[in-house]
Amino acid sequence: MERSKQKQMNESENEADSAINGHFDGRVKIPGWSAGGAAGTPSTAPSSSVMESWREERTRSLEDNELSLPSIAAAYTTILRGLGEDPQRQGLLKTPWRAATAMQFFTKGYQEKIIDVLNDAIFDEDHDEMVIVKDIDMFSMCEHHLVPIFGRVHIGYLPNKRVLGLSKLARIVEIYSRRLQVQERLTKQIAVAITEALQPAGVGVVVEATHMCMVMRGVQKMNSKTVTSTMLGVFREDPKTRDEFLTLIRS
Amino acid sequence: MEYQKAAELNGLCNGKIVTEYLCRNGFSELTVDAKKVAVQHKNETSRKEAEDESRLPALEEAYTTILRGLGENTDRQGLLKTPLRAAKAMQFLTKGYHETIYDVLNDAIFDEDHEELVIVKDIDMFSLCEHHLVPFFGKVHIGYLPSKKVVGLSKLARIVEIYSRRLQVQERLTKQIAMAISEALQPVGVAVVIEAARMCMVMRGVQKMNSRTVTSAMLGVFREDPKAREEFLALTKGAQ
Repeated sequence: MERSKQKQMNESENEADSAINGHFDGRVKIPGWSAGGAAGTPSTAPSSSVMESWREERTRSLEDNELSLPSIAAAYTTILRGLGEDPQRQGLLKTPWRAATAMQFFTKGYQEKIIDVLNDAIFDEDHDEMVIVKDIDMFSMCEHHLVPIFGRVHIGYLPNKRVLGLSKLARIVEIYSRRLQVQERLTKQIAVAITEALQPAGVGVVVEATHMCMVMRGVQKMNSKTVTSTMLGVFREDPKTRDEFLTLIRS
Repeated sequence: MEYQKAAELNGLCNGKIVTEYLCRNGFSELTVDAKKVAVQHKNETSRKEAEDESRLPALEEAYTTILRGLGENTDRQGLLKTPLRAAKAMQFLTKGYHETIYDVLNDAIFDEDHEELVIVKDIDMFSLCEHHLVPFFGKVHIGYLPSKKVVGLSKLARIVEIYSRRLQVQERLTKQIAMAISEALQPVGVAVVIEAARMCMVMRGVQKMNSRTVTSAMLGVFREDPKAREEFLALTKGAQ
Protein backbone atom coordinates (compact mmCIF):
# COMPACT_ATOMS: atom_id res chain seq x y z
CA MET A 1 0.00 0.00 0.00
CA GLU A 2 2.77 2.36 0.90
CA ARG A 3 4.61 1.65 -2.31
CA SER A 4 1.72 2.24 -4.63
CA LYS A 5 0.77 5.36 -2.76
CA GLN A 6 4.35 6.67 -2.99
CA LYS A 7 4.32 6.16 -6.70
CA GLN A 8 1.08 8.05 -7.00
CA MET A 9 2.28 10.84 -4.78
CA ASN A 10 5.43 11.26 -6.84
CA GLU A 11 3.48 11.39 -10.03
CA SER A 12 1.13 13.93 -8.62
CA GLU A 13 3.79 16.32 -7.52
CA ASN A 14 3.60 18.00 -10.86
CA GLU A 15 -0.10 18.56 -10.53
CA ALA A 16 -1.46 21.53 -8.75
CA ASP A 17 -4.19 19.60 -6.98
CA SER A 18 -3.52 17.09 -4.30
CA ALA A 19 -5.01 13.66 -4.50
CA ILE A 20 -8.74 13.45 -4.11
CA ASN A 21 -10.28 10.52 -2.30
CA GLY A 22 -6.98 8.73 -2.04
CA HIS A 23 -6.41 8.57 -5.77
CA PHE A 24 -4.09 10.23 -8.14
CA ASP A 25 -5.83 13.26 -9.48
CA GLY A 26 -5.65 13.87 -13.19
CA ARG A 27 -7.50 16.24 -15.43
CA VAL A 28 -10.35 14.30 -16.91
CA LYS A 29 -10.69 14.07 -20.62
CA ILE A 30 -14.13 12.79 -21.33
CA PRO A 31 -13.76 10.94 -24.59
CA GLY A 32 -16.59 11.40 -26.97
CA TRP A 33 -17.83 14.78 -25.91
CA SER A 34 -15.51 17.08 -27.77
CA ALA A 35 -15.02 14.56 -30.56
CA GLY A 36 -18.72 14.70 -31.22
CA GLY A 37 -19.21 11.08 -30.22
CA ALA A 38 -22.43 12.01 -28.51
CA ALA A 39 -25.04 12.45 -31.20
CA GLY A 40 -24.44 15.91 -32.46
CA THR A 41 -24.28 17.73 -29.19
CA PRO A 42 -21.96 20.68 -29.52
CA SER A 43 -21.31 20.74 -25.83
CA THR A 44 -18.15 22.02 -24.31
CA ALA A 45 -16.58 19.16 -22.46
CA PRO A 46 -17.15 19.67 -18.76
CA SER A 47 -13.63 19.55 -17.51
CA SER A 48 -13.47 18.30 -13.99
CA SER A 49 -10.72 17.36 -11.70
CA VAL A 50 -12.44 14.12 -10.79
CA MET A 51 -10.59 10.91 -11.30
CA GLU A 52 -10.41 9.28 -14.62
CA SER A 53 -11.75 6.14 -13.19
CA TRP A 54 -10.47 3.70 -15.74
CA ARG A 55 -6.93 4.51 -14.92
CA GLU A 56 -7.24 4.44 -11.16
CA GLU A 57 -4.66 2.64 -9.20
CA ARG A 58 -6.05 0.49 -6.47
CA THR A 59 -4.87 2.03 -3.21
CA ARG A 60 -5.68 -0.82 -0.93
CA SER A 61 -5.62 -4.56 -1.15
CA LEU A 62 -6.89 -7.25 1.15
CA GLU A 63 -3.37 -7.82 2.44
CA ASP A 64 -3.08 -4.14 3.22
CA ASN A 65 -6.24 -4.42 5.25
CA GLU A 66 -4.84 -7.23 7.33
CA LEU A 67 -1.55 -5.49 7.85
CA SER A 68 -3.06 -2.22 9.01
CA LEU A 69 -5.68 -3.79 11.26
CA PRO A 70 -3.53 -3.90 14.43
CA SER A 71 -2.58 -0.25 14.22
CA ILE A 72 -6.15 0.84 13.59
CA ALA A 73 -7.31 -1.32 16.49
CA ALA A 74 -4.68 0.23 18.75
CA ALA A 75 -5.86 3.66 17.70
CA TYR A 76 -9.41 2.74 18.65
CA THR A 77 -8.24 1.57 22.06
CA THR A 78 -6.66 4.98 22.58
CA ILE A 79 -9.90 6.61 21.54
CA LEU A 80 -11.93 4.54 24.00
CA ARG A 81 -9.62 5.56 26.81
CA GLY A 82 -9.66 9.16 25.74
CA LEU A 83 -13.44 9.16 25.92
CA GLY A 84 -13.41 8.03 29.52
CA GLU A 85 -14.37 4.42 28.97
CA ASP A 86 -12.70 1.33 30.33
CA PRO A 87 -11.47 -0.79 27.39
CA GLN A 88 -11.18 -3.81 29.65
CA ARG A 89 -14.83 -4.17 30.46
CA GLN A 90 -16.62 -7.08 28.93
CA GLY A 91 -18.62 -5.19 26.34
CA LEU A 92 -15.56 -3.34 25.04
CA LEU A 93 -12.94 -6.07 25.03
CA LYS A 94 -13.03 -6.75 21.32
CA THR A 95 -14.46 -3.44 20.26
CA PRO A 96 -11.22 -2.01 18.83
CA TRP A 97 -10.99 -4.91 16.40
CA ARG A 98 -14.66 -4.83 15.52
CA ALA A 99 -14.60 -1.09 15.02
CA ALA A 100 -11.46 -1.33 12.87
CA THR A 101 -12.96 -4.04 10.69
CA ALA A 102 -16.18 -2.06 10.43
CA MET A 103 -14.28 1.03 9.35
CA GLN A 104 -12.40 -0.95 6.73
CA PHE A 105 -15.74 -2.21 5.45
CA PHE A 106 -17.12 1.30 5.29
CA THR A 107 -14.15 2.33 3.16
CA LYS A 108 -13.97 -0.75 0.97
CA GLY A 109 -14.51 1.41 -2.07
CA TYR A 110 -10.78 2.04 -1.99
CA GLN A 111 -10.14 -1.59 -2.83
CA GLU A 112 -12.15 -1.71 -5.99
CA LYS A 113 -11.80 -0.39 -9.48
CA ILE A 114 -14.58 0.51 -11.86
CA ILE A 115 -12.88 -1.45 -14.58
CA ASP A 116 -13.25 -4.72 -12.69
CA VAL A 117 -16.89 -4.19 -12.07
CA LEU A 118 -17.99 -2.99 -15.46
CA ASN A 119 -15.90 -4.63 -18.08
CA ASP A 120 -18.20 -7.44 -18.95
CA ALA A 121 -21.57 -5.87 -18.67
CA ILE A 122 -21.62 -3.31 -21.46
CA PHE A 123 -23.86 -4.38 -24.29
CA ASP A 124 -24.63 -3.00 -27.71
CA GLU A 125 -28.33 -2.27 -27.89
CA ASP A 126 -30.19 -0.10 -30.30
CA HIS A 127 -31.97 1.72 -27.50
CA ASP A 128 -32.02 5.44 -27.27
CA GLU A 129 -34.65 6.13 -24.65
CA MET A 130 -33.94 7.11 -21.09
CA VAL A 131 -32.95 4.39 -18.65
CA ILE A 132 -33.44 5.13 -14.97
CA VAL A 133 -32.49 3.18 -11.87
CA LYS A 134 -33.82 4.90 -8.79
CA ASP A 135 -33.94 4.50 -5.01
CA ILE A 136 -30.52 2.90 -4.76
CA ASP A 137 -29.71 2.88 -1.03
CA MET A 138 -26.40 4.53 -0.40
CA PHE A 139 -24.21 4.51 2.72
CA SER A 140 -21.12 6.63 2.93
CA MET A 141 -18.85 8.27 5.51
CA CYS A 142 -18.48 12.01 5.92
CA GLU A 143 -14.81 12.81 5.37
CA HIS A 144 -14.94 15.72 7.77
CA HIS A 145 -16.32 14.03 10.86
CA LEU A 146 -16.06 10.31 10.10
CA VAL A 147 -19.76 9.88 10.76
CA PRO A 148 -22.19 8.05 8.43
CA ILE A 149 -24.16 9.55 5.58
CA PHE A 150 -26.98 7.56 4.10
CA GLY A 151 -29.64 8.11 1.55
CA ARG A 152 -30.73 7.28 -1.96
CA VAL A 153 -29.24 7.67 -5.38
CA HIS A 154 -31.23 8.04 -8.59
CA ILE A 155 -29.39 7.53 -11.86
CA GLY A 156 -30.63 8.12 -15.37
CA TYR A 157 -28.84 7.98 -18.68
CA LEU A 158 -29.65 8.25 -22.36
CA PRO A 159 -27.74 5.48 -24.08
CA ASN A 160 -25.97 5.94 -27.36
CA LYS A 161 -25.88 2.41 -28.73
CA ARG A 162 -24.38 1.02 -25.55
CA VAL A 163 -26.25 0.01 -22.43
CA LEU A 164 -24.99 -1.14 -19.07
CA GLY A 165 -26.12 -4.04 -16.92
CA LEU A 166 -28.49 -2.43 -14.44
CA SER A 167 -26.95 -3.77 -11.29
CA LYS A 168 -23.67 -2.29 -12.44
CA LEU A 169 -25.09 1.14 -11.83
CA ALA A 170 -25.67 0.13 -8.23
CA ARG A 171 -22.16 -1.27 -8.05
CA ILE A 172 -20.71 2.00 -9.26
CA VAL A 173 -22.62 3.70 -6.46
CA GLU A 174 -21.19 1.22 -3.98
CA ILE A 175 -17.61 1.71 -5.09
CA TYR A 176 -17.75 5.47 -4.76
CA SER A 177 -19.92 5.69 -1.69
CA ARG A 178 -17.95 3.27 0.46
CA ARG A 179 -15.24 5.88 0.93
CA LEU A 180 -14.61 9.04 2.88
CA GLN A 181 -16.75 11.34 0.84
CA VAL A 182 -18.22 14.71 0.29
CA GLN A 183 -21.70 14.40 -1.19
CA GLU A 184 -20.97 16.74 -4.08
CA ARG A 185 -17.93 14.76 -5.09
CA LEU A 186 -19.76 11.46 -4.81
CA THR A 187 -22.44 12.64 -7.21
CA LYS A 188 -19.89 13.82 -9.70
CA GLN A 189 -17.78 10.69 -9.53
CA ILE A 190 -20.77 8.47 -10.24
CA ALA A 191 -21.78 10.58 -13.22
CA VAL A 192 -18.28 10.71 -14.64
CA ALA A 193 -17.77 6.97 -14.25
CA ILE A 194 -20.90 6.19 -16.22
CA THR A 195 -19.94 8.71 -18.85
CA GLU A 196 -16.54 7.22 -19.35
CA ALA A 197 -17.83 3.69 -19.44
CA LEU A 198 -20.63 4.16 -21.94
CA GLN A 199 -20.19 7.49 -23.69
CA PRO A 200 -23.95 8.03 -23.53
CA ALA A 201 -25.83 11.00 -24.84
CA GLY A 202 -26.36 12.20 -21.30
CA VAL A 203 -26.23 11.20 -17.66
CA GLY A 204 -28.16 12.51 -14.67
CA VAL A 205 -27.42 11.58 -11.06
CA VAL A 206 -29.37 12.80 -8.04
CA VAL A 207 -28.26 11.96 -4.49
CA GLU A 208 -30.56 12.63 -1.57
CA ALA A 209 -28.98 11.95 1.80
CA THR A 210 -29.16 12.48 5.53
CA HIS A 211 -25.92 13.49 7.17
CA MET A 212 -25.48 12.16 10.67
CA CYS A 213 -22.98 14.94 11.30
CA MET A 214 -25.92 17.36 11.08
CA VAL A 215 -28.44 15.15 12.80
CA MET A 216 -26.50 13.68 15.71
CA ARG A 217 -24.28 16.65 16.47
CA GLY A 218 -23.72 20.26 15.53
CA VAL A 219 -26.97 21.88 14.45
CA GLN A 220 -28.97 18.71 15.23
CA LYS A 221 -31.66 19.06 12.63
CA MET A 222 -33.38 15.69 12.56
CA ASN A 223 -35.32 15.91 9.36
CA SER A 224 -32.96 17.74 7.09
CA LYS A 225 -31.88 16.14 3.82
CA THR A 226 -29.17 17.23 1.42
CA VAL A 227 -29.83 16.86 -2.29
CA THR A 228 -27.09 17.13 -4.92
CA SER A 229 -27.27 16.45 -8.60
CA THR A 230 -25.01 16.20 -11.62
CA MET A 231 -26.34 16.54 -15.14
CA LEU A 232 -24.03 15.82 -18.03
CA GLY A 233 -24.52 15.92 -21.77
CA VAL A 234 -28.03 16.25 -23.05
CA PHE A 235 -29.41 16.31 -19.52
CA ARG A 236 -27.54 19.53 -18.97
CA GLU A 237 -28.48 21.21 -22.22
CA ASP A 238 -32.01 20.11 -22.84
CA PRO A 239 -34.47 21.19 -20.18
CA LYS A 240 -37.12 18.79 -21.42
CA THR A 241 -34.92 15.76 -20.91
CA ARG A 242 -33.97 16.95 -17.50
CA ASP A 243 -37.62 17.49 -16.61
CA GLU A 244 -38.53 14.03 -17.76
CA PHE A 245 -35.78 12.55 -15.62
CA LEU A 246 -36.71 14.54 -12.55
CA THR A 247 -40.38 13.72 -12.91
CA LEU A 248 -39.75 10.03 -13.34
CA ILE A 249 -37.57 9.78 -10.26
CA ARG A 250 -40.14 11.58 -8.23
CA SER A 251 -43.06 9.38 -9.15
CA MET B 1 -27.58 -2.91 46.30
CA GLU B 2 -26.96 -5.15 43.35
CA TYR B 3 -28.80 -3.10 40.80
CA GLN B 4 -26.66 -0.11 41.49
CA LYS B 5 -23.65 -1.93 40.25
CA ALA B 6 -25.36 -2.75 36.99
CA ALA B 7 -25.54 0.92 36.37
CA GLU B 8 -21.79 1.15 36.67
CA LEU B 9 -21.39 -0.72 33.50
CA ASN B 10 -20.92 2.30 31.41
CA GLY B 11 -19.52 5.57 32.36
CA LEU B 12 -17.62 4.41 35.34
CA CYS B 13 -14.46 2.46 35.31
CA ASN B 14 -15.31 -0.01 38.04
CA GLY B 15 -16.55 -2.57 35.61
CA LYS B 16 -18.28 -5.00 37.94
CA ILE B 17 -20.48 -7.26 35.94
CA VAL B 18 -23.79 -8.12 37.53
CA THR B 19 -25.81 -11.03 36.36
CA GLU B 20 -29.06 -10.35 38.06
CA TYR B 21 -31.15 -7.37 38.82
CA LEU B 22 -32.87 -7.08 42.14
CA CYS B 23 -35.86 -5.32 40.78
CA ARG B 24 -37.39 -8.49 39.52
CA ASN B 25 -40.31 -8.20 41.82
CA GLY B 26 -41.09 -4.59 41.18
CA PHE B 27 -40.50 -2.35 44.05
CA SER B 28 -41.48 -4.54 46.94
CA GLU B 29 -37.88 -5.15 47.81
CA LEU B 30 -36.75 -1.59 47.57
CA THR B 31 -35.83 0.21 50.65
CA VAL B 32 -34.99 3.58 49.38
CA ASP B 33 -33.58 6.31 51.42
CA ALA B 34 -35.95 9.22 51.02
CA LYS B 35 -33.17 11.67 50.42
CA LYS B 36 -31.35 9.56 47.89
CA VAL B 37 -32.51 10.66 44.52
CA ALA B 38 -30.12 9.19 42.07
CA VAL B 39 -28.71 5.76 41.55
CA GLN B 40 -25.69 7.00 39.73
CA HIS B 41 -22.76 7.54 41.94
CA LYS B 42 -23.97 10.96 42.44
CA ASN B 43 -21.07 13.17 41.90
CA GLU B 44 -18.77 10.89 40.06
CA THR B 45 -18.47 10.83 36.37
CA SER B 46 -15.76 9.04 34.48
CA ARG B 47 -15.09 12.07 32.42
CA LYS B 48 -15.03 15.68 33.42
CA GLU B 49 -15.94 18.27 30.90
CA ALA B 50 -12.87 20.28 31.74
CA GLU B 51 -10.64 17.38 30.78
CA ASP B 52 -12.02 17.04 27.31
CA GLU B 53 -9.72 19.65 25.85
CA SER B 54 -6.65 18.01 27.25
CA ARG B 55 -7.57 14.65 25.82
CA LEU B 56 -8.02 15.93 22.31
CA PRO B 57 -4.42 15.56 21.07
CA ALA B 58 -4.31 11.87 21.87
CA LEU B 59 -7.63 11.34 20.14
CA GLU B 60 -6.45 13.32 17.14
CA GLU B 61 -3.38 11.19 16.78
CA ALA B 62 -5.44 8.06 17.00
CA TYR B 63 -7.71 9.28 14.23
CA THR B 64 -4.76 10.19 12.05
CA THR B 65 -3.47 6.64 12.46
CA ILE B 66 -6.85 5.29 11.48
CA LEU B 67 -7.06 7.43 8.36
CA ARG B 68 -3.62 6.34 7.25
CA GLY B 69 -4.39 2.73 8.00
CA LEU B 70 -7.43 2.97 5.75
CA GLY B 71 -5.27 4.02 2.85
CA GLU B 72 -6.21 7.66 2.75
CA ASN B 73 -3.88 10.56 2.23
CA THR B 74 -4.11 12.68 5.37
CA ASP B 75 -2.57 15.69 3.68
CA ARG B 76 -5.29 16.28 1.21
CA GLN B 77 -7.42 19.32 1.69
CA GLY B 78 -10.60 17.60 2.77
CA LEU B 79 -8.84 15.57 5.45
CA LEU B 80 -6.47 18.13 6.95
CA LYS B 81 -8.54 18.89 10.00
CA THR B 82 -10.56 15.72 10.05
CA PRO B 83 -8.80 14.12 13.04
CA LEU B 84 -9.66 17.13 15.16
CA ARG B 85 -13.24 17.29 13.94
CA ALA B 86 -13.74 13.57 14.35
CA ALA B 87 -12.29 13.66 17.87
CA LYS B 88 -14.59 16.50 18.87
CA ALA B 89 -17.55 14.78 17.25
CA MET B 90 -16.81 11.61 19.16
CA GLN B 91 -16.54 13.54 22.39
CA PHE B 92 -19.90 15.13 21.68
CA LEU B 93 -21.48 11.80 20.87
CA THR B 94 -20.28 10.43 24.21
CA LYS B 95 -21.04 13.48 26.30
CA GLY B 96 -23.33 11.44 28.49
CA TYR B 97 -20.26 10.51 30.47
CA HIS B 98 -20.03 14.05 31.79
CA GLU B 99 -23.39 14.14 33.38
CA THR B 100 -25.13 12.50 36.27
CA ILE B 101 -28.82 12.09 36.86
CA TYR B 102 -28.45 13.91 40.10
CA ASP B 103 -27.49 17.13 38.35
CA VAL B 104 -30.32 16.96 35.93
CA LEU B 105 -33.18 15.90 38.11
CA ASN B 106 -32.71 17.36 41.50
CA ASP B 107 -34.79 20.44 41.09
CA ALA B 108 -37.62 19.24 38.97
CA ILE B 109 -39.42 16.73 41.15
CA PHE B 110 -42.74 18.00 42.36
CA ASP B 111 -45.38 16.71 44.72
CA GLU B 112 -48.61 16.31 42.79
CA ASP B 113 -51.61 14.28 43.62
CA HIS B 114 -51.73 12.66 40.22
CA GLU B 115 -52.14 8.94 39.83
CA GLU B 116 -52.79 8.49 36.17
CA LEU B 117 -50.41 7.39 33.50
CA VAL B 118 -47.95 10.00 32.22
CA ILE B 119 -46.35 9.29 28.86
CA VAL B 120 -43.70 11.13 26.88
CA LYS B 121 -43.25 9.50 23.52
CA ASP B 122 -41.28 9.84 20.29
CA ILE B 123 -38.18 11.15 22.00
CA ASP B 124 -35.45 11.03 19.34
CA MET B 125 -32.48 9.12 20.57
CA PHE B 126 -28.97 8.84 19.11
CA SER B 127 -26.43 6.51 20.55
CA LEU B 128 -23.28 4.60 19.64
CA CYS B 129 -23.07 0.85 19.49
CA GLU B 130 -20.33 -0.17 21.89
CA HIS B 131 -19.34 -3.13 19.80
CA HIS B 132 -18.68 -1.40 16.50
CA LEU B 133 -18.63 2.29 17.41
CA VAL B 134 -21.31 2.91 14.80
CA PRO B 135 -24.46 4.94 15.52
CA PHE B 136 -27.88 3.60 16.26
CA PHE B 137 -30.84 5.88 16.52
CA GLY B 138 -34.53 5.74 17.04
CA LYS B 139 -37.33 6.77 19.31
CA VAL B 140 -37.89 6.30 23.02
CA HIS B 141 -41.31 6.13 24.64
CA ILE B 142 -41.47 6.53 28.40
CA GLY B 143 -44.47 6.11 30.64
CA TYR B 144 -44.81 6.11 34.40
CA LEU B 145 -47.54 5.92 36.99
CA PRO B 146 -46.65 8.49 39.61
CA SER B 147 -47.07 7.98 43.28
CA LYS B 148 -47.36 11.47 44.64
CA LYS B 149 -44.27 12.68 42.84
CA VAL B 150 -44.03 13.83 39.26
CA VAL B 151 -41.01 14.94 37.31
CA GLY B 152 -40.64 17.84 34.89
CA LEU B 153 -41.39 16.36 31.49
CA SER B 154 -38.33 17.55 29.70
CA LYS B 155 -36.29 15.83 32.37
CA LEU B 156 -37.39 12.52 30.96
CA ALA B 157 -35.85 13.55 27.67
CA ARG B 158 -32.72 14.66 29.48
CA ILE B 159 -32.42 11.30 31.16
CA VAL B 160 -32.59 9.73 27.72
CA GLU B 161 -29.85 12.06 26.53
CA ILE B 162 -27.53 11.30 29.40
CA TYR B 163 -27.71 7.59 28.91
CA SER B 164 -27.88 7.48 25.16
CA ARG B 165 -24.87 9.72 24.52
CA ARG B 166 -22.54 6.90 25.56
CA LEU B 167 -21.21 3.66 24.19
CA GLN B 168 -24.28 1.57 24.64
CA VAL B 169 -26.06 -1.68 24.20
CA GLN B 170 -29.72 -1.05 23.48
CA GLU B 171 -30.92 -3.40 26.20
CA ARG B 172 -28.81 -1.71 28.80
CA LEU B 173 -29.88 1.73 27.68
CA THR B 174 -33.53 0.81 28.14
CA LYS B 175 -32.90 -0.56 31.57
CA GLN B 176 -30.81 2.37 32.72
CA ILE B 177 -33.50 4.85 31.75
CA ALA B 178 -36.13 2.83 33.57
CA MET B 179 -33.99 2.43 36.68
CA ALA B 180 -33.10 6.10 36.81
CA ILE B 181 -36.74 7.14 36.73
CA SER B 182 -37.80 4.55 39.25
CA GLU B 183 -35.16 5.55 41.72
CA ALA B 184 -35.73 9.24 41.32
CA LEU B 185 -39.47 9.16 41.76
CA GLN B 186 -40.37 5.86 43.34
CA PRO B 187 -43.41 5.64 41.11
CA VAL B 188 -45.92 2.84 41.04
CA GLY B 189 -44.52 1.68 37.73
CA VAL B 190 -42.25 2.69 34.86
CA ALA B 191 -42.28 1.54 31.25
CA VAL B 192 -39.68 2.36 28.62
CA VAL B 193 -39.79 1.22 24.99
CA ILE B 194 -37.01 1.92 22.50
CA GLU B 195 -37.33 1.29 18.79
CA ALA B 196 -34.10 1.84 16.93
CA ALA B 197 -32.36 1.32 13.63
CA ARG B 198 -28.87 0.00 14.12
CA MET B 199 -26.33 1.16 11.55
CA CYS B 200 -24.12 -1.79 12.46
CA MET B 201 -26.82 -4.01 10.93
CA VAL B 202 -27.81 -1.68 8.12
CA MET B 203 -24.48 -0.40 6.85
CA ARG B 204 -22.41 -3.54 7.35
CA GLY B 205 -22.71 -7.16 8.37
CA VAL B 206 -26.12 -8.50 7.44
CA GLN B 207 -27.10 -5.23 5.73
CA LYS B 208 -30.80 -5.33 6.38
CA MET B 209 -32.04 -1.84 5.55
CA ASN B 210 -35.44 -1.90 7.12
CA SER B 211 -34.84 -3.85 10.28
CA ARG B 212 -35.65 -2.23 13.61
CA THR B 213 -34.72 -3.40 17.09
CA VAL B 214 -37.30 -2.91 19.82
CA THR B 215 -36.45 -3.28 23.50
CA SER B 216 -38.54 -2.55 26.52
CA ALA B 217 -38.24 -2.36 30.27
CA MET B 218 -41.32 -2.71 32.45
CA LEU B 219 -41.01 -2.12 36.16
CA GLY B 220 -43.50 -2.16 38.98
CA VAL B 221 -47.15 -2.24 38.08
CA PHE B 222 -46.36 -2.35 34.37
CA ARG B 223 -44.69 -5.66 34.89
CA GLU B 224 -47.36 -7.15 37.11
CA ASP B 225 -50.56 -5.80 35.65
CA PRO B 226 -51.22 -6.64 32.00
CA LYS B 227 -53.91 -4.01 31.70
CA ALA B 228 -51.59 -1.18 32.66
CA ARG B 229 -49.05 -2.45 30.16
CA GLU B 230 -51.69 -2.65 27.45
CA GLU B 231 -52.80 0.88 28.09
CA PHE B 232 -49.24 2.14 27.81
CA LEU B 233 -48.54 0.20 24.62
CA ALA B 234 -51.79 1.30 23.04
CA LEU B 235 -51.14 4.93 23.79
CA THR B 236 -47.61 4.86 22.43
CA LYS B 237 -48.57 2.99 19.28
CA GLY B 238 -51.38 5.45 18.74
CA ALA B 239 -50.19 8.33 16.63
CA GLN B 240 -47.03 6.99 15.08
